Amino acid sequence: MSDTPLILPIENPVLKVSDLHLYYGDSEALHGISMGFPARQVTALIGPSGCGKSTLLRCLNRMNDLIEGVRVTGSLQLDDIEINDPALDVIGLRRRVGMVFQKSNPFPKSVYENVVYGLRIAGVGDRAVLDEAVEKSLRSAGLWDEVKDRLAESALGLSGGQMQRLCIARAIAVNPGIILMDEPCSALDPRSTARVEDLIVELRENYTIIIVTHNMQQAARVSDLTAFLYEGHLVEYGPTKRLFTKPLSPKTEDYITGRFG
Amino acid sequence: MTPRVFQRNRRWDRLARWLISVGGVGVIGCVAVMLLLIVWMALPLFGKPHATEVVPAFTAPAGTPILAVGLDDNAEVGFTLGGDGFFQFLELRTGAVTARVPASPRAGKPGVKLTGVSAGRHLEYALAWDDGSWSLVRIAFRSSFETGRRQILHQVEILAEMPAAVTMPAGGAGQMRAGEKGGAVLVWLDPSGATFQVRRSVVKTDLLGNEETAMATYEIPVPAGSVTAFTVDLAGSTLYAGTADARLLRWNLGDDRAELLEQVRAFEDGRRITALGLVFGDVSLAVGDDRGGVSTWMPVALYGEGSSRRMELIHTLAAHASPVVEFPFVQSGKQLLSRSAAGLVRLDHMTSERKLLTLQGSQSLDAINISNRGDHLLALDRNGLLHLWDLDAPHAEISWKVLFGKVWYENYDRPALVWQSSAANDDAEPKFSFVPLIFGSLKATFYALFFAVPLALMGAIYTSQFTTPEVRGVVKPAVEIMAAVPSVVIGFLAALWLAPRVETAITGVFLFALILPVAFLLTLALWMAIRNTRLAKRVGRGFEFLPLIPVLILAGAAALALGPAVEKLLFAGDFKLWLFHTAGLRYDQRNSLIIAFALGFAVVPVIFTMAEDALSNVPNNLKAASLALGASRWQTVWRVILPSASPGVFAAVIIGFGRAVGETMIVLMATGNTPILDASPFNGMRTLSANIAVEIPEAPAGGTLFRLLFLSAVLLFLLTSVLNTAAELIRHRLRKKYGQF
Amino acid sequence: MKPSTNIKSPGFWRLGEPFVWLTGAAMALVLILAGGMLVVVAGNGLGVFWPARLEQFEMKDKTVLLGAVTQRSAVRNGVAHSRLQVKVGNRDLSGADFRWIDADAVARTSAPPDALLVERREFGDFHGFLVRSATAGGVDGLRADWLRVRAEFAGVAELGKAVSKINDRMEGIRRDLLRLRYRNAPESGSAIRGCLARQAELKVEFDRLVAGQTRSLEGLRRHTATFRDAAGREKEIPLTDIVRFCQPNILGVGGKAGWYLEKVWELFFAEPREANTEGGLFPAIMGTVMMVFLMSLFSFPLGVVTAVYLREYARDGWLVRVVRIAVNNLAGIPSIVYGIFGLGFFIYGVGSGLDRLFFPERLPTPTFGTGGILWASLTLALLTVPVVIVATEEALGAIPAGVRHASLALGATKLQTLLRVLLPMASPGIMTGFILAMARAAGEVAPLMITGVVKLAPAMPLDGNFPFFHVDRKFMHLGFHIYDIGFQSPNVEAAKPMVYVTTLLLLFIVLLMSSSAILLRNRMKKRYTLGSF
Repeated sequence: MSDTPLILPIENPVLKVSDLHLYYGDSEALHGISMGFPARQVTALIGPSGCGKSTLLRCLNRMNDLIEGVRVTGSLQLDDIEINDPALDVIGLRRRVGMVFQKSNPFPKSVYENVVYGLRIAGVGDRAVLDEAVEKSLRSAGLWDEVKDRLAESALGLSGGQMQRLCIARAIAVNPGIILMDEPCSALDPRSTARVEDLIVELRENYTIIIVTHNMQQAARVSDLTAFLYEGHLVEYGPTKRLFTKPLSPKTEDYITGRFG
Repeated sequence: MTPRVFQRNRRWDRLARWLISVGGVGVIGCVAVMLLLIVWMALPLFGKPHATEVVPAFTAPAGTPILAVGLDDNAEVGFTLGGDGFFQFLELRTGAVTARVPASPRAGKPGVKLTGVSAGRHLEYALAWDDGSWSLVRIAFRSSFETGRRQILHQVEILAEMPAAVTMPAGGAGQMRAGEKGGAVLVWLDPSGATFQVRRSVVKTDLLGNEETAMATYEIPVPAGSVTAFTVDLAGSTLYAGTADARLLRWNLGDDRAELLEQVRAFEDGRRITALGLVFGDVSLAVGDDRGGVSTWMPVALYGEGSSRRMELIHTLAAHASPVVEFPFVQSGKQLLSRSAAGLVRLDHMTSERKLLTLQGSQSLDAINISNRGDHLLALDRNGLLHLWDLDAPHAEISWKVLFGKVWYENYDRPALVWQSSAANDDAEPKFSFVPLIFGSLKATFYALFFAVPLALMGAIYTSQFTTPEVRGVVKPAVEIMAAVPSVVIGFLAALWLAPRVETAITGVFLFALILPVAFLLTLALWMAIRNTRLAKRVGRGFEFLPLIPVLILAGAAALALGPAVEKLLFAGDFKLWLFHTAGLRYDQRNSLIIAFALGFAVVPVIFTMAEDALSNVPNNLKAASLALGASRWQTVWRVILPSASPGVFAAVIIGFGRAVGETMIVLMATGNTPILDASPFNGMRTLSANIAVEIPEAPAGGTLFRLLFLSAVLLFLLTSVLNTAAELIRHRLRKKYGQF
Repeated sequence: MKPSTNIKSPGFWRLGEPFVWLTGAAMALVLILAGGMLVVVAGNGLGVFWPARLEQFEMKDKTVLLGAVTQRSAVRNGVAHSRLQVKVGNRDLSGADFRWIDADAVARTSAPPDALLVERREFGDFHGFLVRSATAGGVDGLRADWLRVRAEFAGVAELGKAVSKINDRMEGIRRDLLRLRYRNAPESGSAIRGCLARQAELKVEFDRLVAGQTRSLEGLRRHTATFRDAAGREKEIPLTDIVRFCQPNILGVGGKAGWYLEKVWELFFAEPREANTEGGLFPAIMGTVMMVFLMSLFSFPLGVVTAVYLREYARDGWLVRVVRIAVNNLAGIPSIVYGIFGLGFFIYGVGSGLDRLFFPERLPTPTFGTGGILWASLTLALLTVPVVIVATEEALGAIPAGVRHASLALGATKLQTLLRVLLPMASPGIMTGFILAMARAAGEVAPLMITGVVKLAPAMPLDGNFPFFHVDRKFMHLGFHIYDIGFQSPNVEAAKPMVYVTTLLLLFIVLLMSSSAILLRNRMKKRYTLGSF
């Protein structure tokens, strides 16, 4: 097994991270992460609280820009585009790299308007196109049957699980290649969690998904690859099954066996 | 801790809890007391007038039939005038007769009697003697302290005498007015009602000081119908007559002839005019008819017909049940006293058209007299009983219609909404319409918000959403400090610094409004050209306002520099003149533009701060969600942040509105405070709040104006209170809504 | 479904960047407005006391003017047309202090080195030249004379103080008499007789002092100096009328600075002169300070107690909501409504009641039944209560609940927790509220105008006579001073410099207070936000 690398190299990654350092003010939160994300796979980022997994995720669509005092060095490549380029058009980036947040955050608008939001801001006004997109996205998110009669109602009236799936539908509607998920199930009950997990597995057909989770079972259930981060370092990265059954690093082993975290 | 200490602590705690609760809830008390007090002060305006008999009715002095009664200002001394030509003075509280005074030396001679009396000015009587001669007498009262205690002294003054004339046999009705230096005019109506005779005596003094009385007599034929009532104004220069077929005629009484000014048909339904009287001030003519109707008429200027005027029906007051027989003279305000054939006496107010009091004795009232101040009324009924009433109608000129509706005031061409609380003469009609003041408040508020709302909201959006936290940390306190600038400072600068400068550079100000967008677009174009350079990218975000500051200042400077040239080009060098000639608008130095700016300056920080808070309080995850979907920062703000914060933003605008409506010093200083109804931006206005500040030093406590100012304070209180309560409720809901995020 | 690979975003306009810029422009404009106002006030107010160069304008029509240029206007009716506004002074000689002259009409301009600027007690400044003074030696001689006279004049002023003291005592006796007579004390009784005797005694003393004062003044007024104006007219000015003088055209920077400081000193510590348009602001400053102080006594406790009630004692419910709405209403009611409430409630209600109860002998002259500093302060106290409430509530709300729980868990009562833990912790926030309330009160004018402020108060609310703090007196106020001299002054142009100075002072005070309060609050906010992590 010694020939198995601690960090699995990915061929033709959609997204390639090299030597990524991130600083909050003076403190370094990510210490030179280098890894690739394969297309149409689910990659899980795991690790104890504060290990930098969410921070890493937010780097991928530059959501860290919203946090003051953040400084990033190193390279992040989406196809041939340098994400970290200060001159990059982040809006275009975010249209390609969608995101689902830990707490569901539907807009205080109707279900319908929530889903078409991304399309509307991109200037799509054709009702037929929007209707189609709504149905498609909601179906993909497995929500269509539940909300098809309530499209005009406020999204804030949905249950927690439904809201989260609505957020996923909203992210899908703009047709991104990559979806980032930041602990999408942490605020959900087990049933809703199961549905979202099923959804993730389904979405894998069409999308590259990167998911941050603190729930190792979840990572094991839904992901193809898993990366374990610890204190801002990428400790181990490999196929999920292997990582959970035969971790190479003692740190990883300690973590997945529940000795800390 | 010993139990005793423990207990003591508990006691203190309970006491403190009680005190603090009382204090806390006391704030409600403060607000309630404020509202109650100002309402309480304003309430008497709408009090019901009432009359009380001061003493039980008592028998009038016996003797000849009583033709007239009268009383002094304090309702202590009264008098009766008998058919024998004697005044009998009596103490009104006891009914005891104190003196009997002949009205003229002629009285008391055997066989001499009065055939008629007509009242003129207050306590002034034209006496018709049975020999055909006339006297004009006045009763004068004055207080004296000579004996140590106050005494009311009376005196009968003979103002004029008019010897008998063949053409005017005894009988027939006459009215007499005093002229200068003992001169007089007598207007006498032939018993047939077909002709008037006018006799005018003029006293002339020659160079040696000898007085000579010249007498002129002329006749006025009545064009048609027979005159059933007439009256002469106090100056003796205008004669009004009403006929049986309801026509009103008006003559100008010249020295030797009369000129018929007009005749109008007052009613078309077959009424007879039975009584005429002039309301104090000699502008309005009270007309009574045989159906009991009481109305007032006034000559109104006709458009396009030079100076000619025509009598118009101005006010219709409540009707009597029986024909009106008399309008006794009232010297207080625009009140109208009328007596009906049934002997009922009514007091109305002309301007407010309010029916104030109805008085009746044990029998029909025949002779009445109201005191100078209008607070007492003496009346004689057919049973020979004298009644003395204390009248209480303190704010008769106020009604809801006067406050909020159009009223046709004396000497106005049409009904109007006017605020004019004081005038030079006491016979002027006070004009108490709140409408121009409310209009002024709304106008000032509108112009101020027109300027302040876009500025404050956009500024708040930029500060809360687009700029960097560092800039925000500077701008927000700066704006909060701006909110602390005393309004007296703003008002002073607006009035004495800004207004004269804007007046000279008004074209430049308008030019600025044109140049600004152009400069802005040019800046944007320039920015588009360089925005893709790395430097611009790195520096640009959140600092857009920095390059804009010089742009704005330069645009302003350019506008001011170009102003004169443009003014010369477009407005022949003088905008104000041009404005007056082309649009007919006057340019006031302290106008609505200045107010918009000054009041806007005061309101901007209020709206800015609250809107900024509301926008910043929108949960960050909504912003994140939108941005993560590829929305631009503007799209995020426009589609997510603003809609979510809209109640808070709305509340900010409401609070700003409330602040602008109530602001006093700025409008007091930076407008001309003229209560006009004119929306032009080049005029000023008078607002409710400034009106209080302007008028309260002139308002005697307890008076109508004083109470009206409290009423306007009630209006302001309620208005701002509704606004603030609404804003608080909206914010409360907002807090609750975001509680779930 | 084919994921989009297009990363080129829609253009600048579609993204709404112009709107961002538009909002940026709005913020920039707000900043420019705020800054512009400060610049205007400071620009006009700071330079007032700096002695300006006196220029001599020889006009083409042979008239000569000596004055300082105060304004230039470049344009009139769209035509380039340079005009100058010149402060020529000499109101007693030429009628108007200020003149507009056409630049074209000036033949020659010079700055004569010996031009004198003489500040007088009456008729404003004198611009001209010294002709002669008692002591030879030109301006130095004049100065020597003037200093001597001024020293003597100070002695006469001391006499004036004695006169006013006697006057006060006579007023006291007059009141005693009124009271005695009102209570029907016998005219021949010892009380009234004693009063009358003392009154007569004081009257003699009073007359003697006044006569002495008049005599010395007359003597002093005989010391004069003769000046002439630019046109050559001579004017004899008594030295007692001269407040100060200098030759601005040859005065060095140090001298000018000295003049400036002297004027600033006068501003803060001297009485106003010439219908408030000259001299100092001392009574107005004192009046403002006393009023704010008195207001604080009422406003602060009520505000803090209400906030404590809302935050610590009340249970959430309709009552609290009503209280909150009441607080909001208090904050939003126009200040003039407070004023008219103060007039109706405090003055005509409470004040008249007090007069009837305690000072019936003075009626119909009101004591408390008229505007006074007490009523004005109470009115403003109501007006500023919401400011204190909001700040205190905010401060209490920022204290983490754990602190309360900890204290209560140790067996402290709620009151003890409040007094020993919460209020001390919240004190910076409460202070902020106090400062903001004081700033608000210092700048508010409208309600004061009808509750007791006057343009010239005969006596200050605080003086050396018992009971020292006279809450029934009328007072002067900086804000009202601005309104009064700016708008009610007969000579607006001459009053302007003083208005600007007063404005600058008021603005400085208010902005200093509020900015320190806001900075304090923001610093505190930061402390608690950091602390909550």
